[in-house]
Amino acid sequence: MIRISELSKCFGATPVLERISLDIAAGSFVALLGASGSGKTTLLRIIAGLEQADRGSIEIDGVPATGLPPGARRIGFVFQSYALFAPMSVFENIAFGLRVRPRRLRPREVEIRDRVERLLALVRLEGLGARLPAQLSGGQRQRVALARALAIEPRILLLDEPFGALDREVRDELRVWLKQLHAELGITTLFVTHDQEEALSLANRVVILDRGQVVLDASPTEMMQGQGHRP
Amino acid sequence: MTVGTLRGGATHGSALPGLRLTLTCTLVYLGLLVVLPLAGLVTKAATLDWPAVLATLGNFRTLAAFRVSFGAAAAAALIDMPLGLLLAWTLTRYRFPGQRLLDALIDLPFALPTAVAGIALATLYVPDGWIGRLLAPFGIELAFSPGGIVVALTFVGLPFIVRTVQPVLAALDREAEEAALTLGAGPFAILRRVIAPPLIPAVLTGVALAFARGVGEYGSVIFIAGNRPAISEIVPLLIIVKLEQFDYPGAALLGAAMLLASLLLLLAINVLQRWTVAGQEGAYAG
Amino acid sequence: MPAERSIGEPVAVRAAVVLAAVAVAAVMLLAPLLVVFSEALAKGGSFLLTSLTDPDALAAIELTLLVTAIVVPLNTVFGLAAAWSVSHFRFPGRQLLITLIELPFSVSPVVSGMVYVLMFGLQGWAGGWLIEHGVKVIFALPGIVLATLFVTLPFVARQVAPLMQARGIEEEEAALTLGANGWQMFRRVSLLKVRWALLYGILLCNARSLGEFGAVSVVSGHIRGVTNTMPLHVEILYNEYNIAAAFGMAALLACMAIATIGARLALEWRHHRSISLGSEAVWVDRR
Repeated sequence: MIRISELSKCFGATPVLERISLDIAAGSFVALLGASGSGKTTLLRIIAGLEQADRGSIEIDGVPATGLPPGARRIGFVFQSYALFAPMSVFENIAFGLRVRPRRLRPREVEIRDRVERLLALVRLEGLGARLPAQLSGGQRQRVALARALAIEPRILLLDEPFGALDREVRDELRVWLKQLHAELGITTLFVTHDQEEALSLANRVVILDRGQVVLDASPTEMMQGQGHRP
Repeated sequence: MTVGTLRGGATHGSALPGLRLTLTCTLVYLGLLVVLPLAGLVTKAATLDWPAVLATLGNFRTLAAFRVSFGAAAAAALIDMPLGLLLAWTLTRYRFPGQRLLDALIDLPFALPTAVAGIALATLYVPDGWIGRLLAPFGIELAFSPGGIVVALTFVGLPFIVRTVQPVLAALDREAEEAALTLGAGPFAILRRVIAPPLIPAVLTGVALAFARGVGEYGSVIFIAGNRPAISEIVPLLIIVKLEQFDYPGAALLGAAMLLASLLLLLAINVLQRWTVAGQEGAYAG
Repeated sequence: MPAERSIGEPVAVRAAVVLAAVAVAAVMLLAPLLVVFSEALAKGGSFLLTSLTDPDALAAIELTLLVTAIVVPLNTVFGLAAAWSVSHFRFPGRQLLITLIELPFSVSPVVSGMVYVLMFGLQGWAGGWLIEHGVKVIFALPGIVLATLFVTLPFVARQVAPLMQARGIEEEEAALTLGANGWQMFRRVSLLKVRWALLYGILLCNARSLGEFGAVSVVSGHIRGVTNTMPLHVEILYNEYNIAAAFGMAALLACMAIATIGARLALEWRHHRSISLGSEAVWVDRR
């Protein structure tokens, strides 16, 4: 579903991604694992359209994505620091993606309300629609960010270190829940992490990046058995 | 040309829209409103040949005007220094009734139109004004003299010192002071060793800002100054006089000189401010 | 207001310091303000009213408000555009651009006005042609607008830009991924983020525009009832020894200044963050 070919990127003189090639099947749950500086976040941002690669190409569903703006890719992105719109209520945050659609594609107000309520229920934040992000806990904000990304019915979900800033208990809870969500919705999901345990427990495929290159690409079981494909 | 967005310190490729549009608007606007007119100023000044330049700048009246403008601005900034420090200190470290009012009052010279300040100060300091009559018995006459210019510039420059020092004072590491107290240091020692060092760049910045503002000030000054050529005439007034005499190149030359002085001061202030910021960040390192 | 902090100085000293500060403020700051109102009312309230409703006075008020109504929106749009380009992008010449935006702050008001006289006056290089075609710039509204634009140019930009830079672009990026186009992103996310700084910058721009004296003095020609702004009208009245009327107009301007300070306090209270009118300091580019 996502085909990445020979993707390379430099920041100034520093190479950040070197000839990355990956094929990601629809519905998979992929972890991009690596230390900081390994290029994993950059790769995620390039897929989202927030950065441009220097060389190489990305195809989504057979259509080349280079040059396509982020809004046109139907990709949901959850930022590391959630990037919620601080002055807007939870409801408005989630509804944002629906409200900015061009007139012909925009759902009616009633439908927007309906969808947002359903999403709030999905992320178990019913009744908190009127709150401001500042009034929520870290875990709650995380779920709002997710709901917001899901509101646009994305075909791909990208998460950048989604549980990094949360404490242990909340993190574990959210992990379980995210896994359930993926099983339920079946959206192709890519997430970036530096936590090996997290990668192994959540994903059905782990891609390890080191200094801009893929060093290991395998399923968690294969990894734990010491097997796996080294490109 | 590499164009990047700034994200967390590193430069990334830009997906953020709007650079071309905003940059074009900005450049056109600035070009028409700022660059073109200032270029015109310099060009006009440059129509004078060197002997004329020297004659204009070296003229007795001109030199006196520069002396008056820069001298009064310097004196005012220096007077403002202890006064501004006093106010900043009181506002940051003590609590008392009417504190909010005092803090709001500091903004007055910024918010008040210069002409209003000008006539108010003139009225205060003439021999039968509220303050003038207090000083008259001592033979001090501030109105219509260079002293009046200093008074006016003191008013104008005071907030610069206060507002530059206040945030630095407020951000001082409280624990460092408390540690010094527990170690037995007296108030003066603490002042000297703990508080003063990060304050110095901030104070200097405030003084420089007050000075820069005072050099070019017009409205607050001309009512109280007396405006006698070579005695209490400031450079901006001399420029206007030349304009009225249709000596456009001469006026432009003076304007260009003031512009140069402003740019140099701008540079100095920039350096001082970076020093202040560095000092503040250093204060946190402890 | 921050909490009380002492370095071991005795209470008596503290009290003395506070008294000294209050005395300084009273003499240096309060007295000028009070004398404005005192002199304005010196000939009684009805005289004050008459002088303010005098046709020349009304014309001055009208002109000042008109100029402000033109200048503030223009410089607001410019300020937002300039701040956007300078905060979120790096390009060669960026620092020079920032300096150019800051420049009107450092230039003497008289020089600010003079540059337009040089350009559009009779001897000016653009002036001659325009005057032949019946367009008056100097000694007319356009000149006053230009001089005021120049002088108030940096206010919005310098309030908004540091905030834009400090807040980063993540929310904007989020908006983009959610399908917003550039304008939607700017309107719904970016503007909202900086709204307090924006309001504050507009407030400052407005105050300065109403009160500008030196620059306008040079370009206006002081034609009574036509090209006099409120501050210029104050000057004319004062020079004619019509003191009470001069202070009457001055009192009106002083009320606007007090309103500005009050608005700043209100903004501060709403925004829960300390801001000061004294941000005339050069903005330091923090990385």
